[in-house]
Amino acid sequence: MAGVKIKYTKTERARQKKILKVSLRMLPLFEAMEKSLMSTINTIAERIEEIRQEIDRNNRKAEPWVAVMSDSHVDITSFISVNKVITKHVDVAGVRVDQYEGVDFNVEPVQDDTPLWVDDAIELMKVQLQLMAEIDCLEEQIRLLEEELLDVRARIKLFENRRIPNAKTAIRKIGQKLQDDERLTIATAKVVKTSQKEGVMA
Amino acid sequence: MSNLVYLMCSLPSLKFGQVPPISMDEFTEESKSQLSAKHFKKLEPVDIYQATDSEGKVSLKSIAVMLDEMKEDMAELRAAKAQRRTPGLARLPLAVVHANPLEREKLIMRWQWEELDTIVSGESFTLTEVMVYKLRLQILNRLNSFNKERGSQVLASVVNPPKKKEE
Repeated sequence: MAGVKIKYTKTERARQKKILKVSLRMLPLFEAMEKSLMSTINTIAERIEEIRQEIDRNNRKAEPWVAVMSDSHVDITSFISVNKVITKHVDVAGVRVDQYEGVDFNVEPVQDDTPLWVDDAIELMKVQLQLMAEIDCLEEQIRLLEEELLDVRARIKLFENRRIPNAKTAIRKIGQKLQDDERLTIATAKVVKTSQKEGVMA
Repeated sequence: MSNLVYLMCSLPSLKFGQVPPISMDEFTEESKSQLSAKHFKKLEPVDIYQATDSEGKVSLKSIAVMLDEMKEDMAELRAAKAQRRTPGLARLPLAVVHANPLEREKLIMRWQWEELDTIVSGESFTLTEVMVYKLRLQILNRLNSFNKERGSQVLASVVNPPKKKEE
């Protein structure tokens, strides 16, 4: 409020009252939005944790046979790769994000004489790559939601620390000034009236 | 004949599951120096992974038969898995059905090894014996390439490749 010149008029007071009313109405909305964003971020983080645990479980399950993947006869890396991660746009807590839908793979067909473990490895790699792609999508969602959360928090701070107190101060100051002006006018009028009466008497 | 005898006597004996006592390059060099050009030409295309050479010729009929039968059983295993039924195997041991992928490969290689025993039985200091030696060396090399740490690295390189830096 410091440095801002207030117009001590009834119009200005009405304008400040309107600002205060809107601010008081908006603040709970932003607070609710903050809560919703935080809760959504937590839910997504929990989902990421769940997926990581699933990846670990799959790795542990494959541990007894993972040695076969270093087979000198087969280069498993040439059998599978990710072509495209499929996503769709959705609104999460009012923010537009990409939701994971699936993965399109490039898979080389196995021949009759391709070792049987290749089938198992491709199956495992598909599952793990899908889970990793889902994590990537979710991490990107968290990034976007956190950006929005920062914005919302800045707005809440603005309302709590600037707009509402400023409007309240302005309304109070204008009210006092208008009251003082009114009293001064009445007093002046009384003085004028008294001096007029004295002039008539004389 | 004397060259074959000399070669077979100079080669270390092989046992299933052991670390290969000689490399494939050393074997090739040794056999090239000991065998006649004609024998070496016959030995060169022998491969545990393919029944025929690049020109489609069969190096050793019994090996080709073994590989074909194995291929048929592998196809049957794949079909049975896709159709969710119990496979009917002609040659491979039934244990391969429920074994994990690593154990399954080992069982198949063990089966190949035993089949090679049958092929080589009664053969002493013949080219067939040298061929079987080469095939066994291939089996041992492959078996020895199975390594948990390296396998995990291969899996990680596919599932979690290093992310490319954005330009």
